[in-house]
Amino acid sequence: MFRRKVRTSLSIIGVALATAFVIAVGATTMRYTTVIKEMSVLFSGQIMVTSSNAVVIQAIPIGGSMLPQNYTDRKIQDITGVDKTVPVLFVTPMSLTGIIQTVPVNFTMGIPVEDWKTVIGPTPLRGNSGHFPTNESGSEVVVGASLADQYNWTVDSTVFLNSHKLTVAGILETKLALLNRCVLMPLKLAQRVYNYPGSVNIIAVKPAQGIIQKNLTETIEAKMDYVQALTEDERNDMVQPVLAQVETWDVGVQSVVLIMSLIQVMAVSAMSVSERRRDFATLDAMGAPLNYVFRIVVLESTLIGVLGGLLGICFGSLASLTLASLYTSIPITLFFPSLFEIVPPLYVAEILLAAMFVCCAGGILPALNAMRMRVSEVLRADY
Amino acid sequence: MRIKTADLTKTYRMGPSQIAAVNRVSLEVDEATFVAIVGPSGSGKSTLLNLIGLNDTPTQGKVLIDDADASLLSASERRRIRLMRMGFVFQTFNLMPTLSALENVELPMALAGASQKAQRERSAKLLETVGLTGRVRHRPKELSMGEMQRVAIARALANRPEVIIADEPTGELDSKTAKEIISLLFEANREEKTTVIVATHDEKVVSVANKTYIIKDGNLETEK
Repeated sequence: MFRRKVRTSLSIIGVALATAFVIAVGATTMRYTTVIKEMSVLFSGQIMVTSSNAVVIQAIPIGGSMLPQNYTDRKIQDITGVDKTVPVLFVTPMSLTGIIQTVPVNFTMGIPVEDWKTVIGPTPLRGNSGHFPTNESGSEVVVGASLADQYNWTVDSTVFLNSHKLTVAGILETKLALLNRCVLMPLKLAQRVYNYPGSVNIIAVKPAQGIIQKNLTETIEAKMDYVQALTEDERNDMVQPVLAQVETWDVGVQSVVLIMSLIQVMAVSAMSVSERRRDFATLDAMGAPLNYVFRIVVLESTLIGVLGGLLGICFGSLASLTLASLYTSIPITLFFPSLFEIVPPLYVAEILLAAMFVCCAGGILPALNAMRMRVSEVLRADY
Repeated sequence: MRIKTADLTKTYRMGPSQIAAVNRVSLEVDEATFVAIVGPSGSGKSTLLNLIGLNDTPTQGKVLIDDADASLLSASERRRIRLMRMGFVFQTFNLMPTLSALENVELPMALAGASQKAQRERSAKLLETVGLTGRVRHRPKELSMGEMQRVAIARALANRPEVIIADEPTGELDSKTAKEIISLLFEANREEKTTVIVATHDEKVVSVANKTYIIKDGNLETEK
């Protein structure tokens, strides 16, 4: 009996660890793919022009040369079919603590003050207090809520960035991870802070009405061989295969872990059935209905799944928060309020159901064996 | 319940040869009788009881329950007969280790679909009858062997069976306890008119039986 209890407890812990692993890996990859997907909100419906050697992930140009702002901007505006252009300086990573981060978590965007809305849309400021900077050469910035919470910044706080003294004019209230971790400032200020005078790395182009974006990008690239121009669809298409691959790997890893759980539960159930041959045979002798023993074994293994799954959800959620904190160097406490965004309840429910299903399936073969126990055979084998 | 066997045979394959555990056995058990089947270990007593108790199927021959051929019954009909009309007592008690004495006695009634209240009342009464009033909440491992066999007898009586099939019920017990167990079976036979079929080595069982069959090497040799 004691051995059976130990074995069942170990089996529950095994399922719990598997569930925790699935949740931690799944929630983490899901979070990053979601962050990448939601970046498409920025520059939505616009063509993004960057240097031809930059790698573009949705709205973020990685590497590549800087573009001469005035020259490039003017050349694009001269092209027929261009309604408006917005030069942007996008800088990542931005170290506020001196700690090297595994993934970029802080960003700076320099945008001309008259074009805030073109890039970030109608994003409000926290508590309706503060304002968006209006002076292109001033030192006012707005910051994302997550950054503000991490560093206890409020409106009028002083921030030092690359030895420049900046003043927080407002805090962005947004659910977008990118904007939450962003310092938004006037373009000229950003160029000064990061020492890129007269340079930008993105020019957002709004096509005139009725213009086919694809044709416009081809014209832009034909006129300036040092840039690449990408429509929103092209930017999505570039990142889609990578995201699909990540999701496939994720499903693959989850499947392997769940199959291992199935084998584990099957082995434990088989051992348990083998130890209780006499009990099952006695039930059969007493005339228990044919599926009675089957139901007992399957119910037991499903319960292992439920208990292990619930325990795994707790471990997995904690592991997801810890991973998010480790990857970003953001204190774990700041993630607690957004627990259900990092570990979505629907995903948790799916994994719990999967754990239950796997454990239930793991009990089926041993249950079929248990059903076949006959008292005559068991007693004969005992002697 | 009247039980008859006709040329009942059960063979097992042991490597290249076939062993007849029960060989062309024909016997009759009338209602409300106490029958002893006596024989040495390995003589085929348990196999015969398993065949009579519909827990095994014969290689040849028939078991007739109230003159109906049991081999013609479906598996669920055989189960129903075992559950509602038969009670089983095993040499090694075969109680459920995780259940209390009371729950062990309730089990056949639960399987038969009796109400919770009816189960509780009858189990308590049966445990009182077998002298275990103060032990109802104890698990099998907390009971002595004699107490476990009493629980097993109470369990066998739970669904008011017409026949109790007991395989060496005193085999694991000391002589005093064995005598008490035989008395319980005898009382069930006399007071409830339950047919009792006991496989045994025990002379004390033979002394109370209405009819005794002696079995050797699977053959029914004599009838007393």
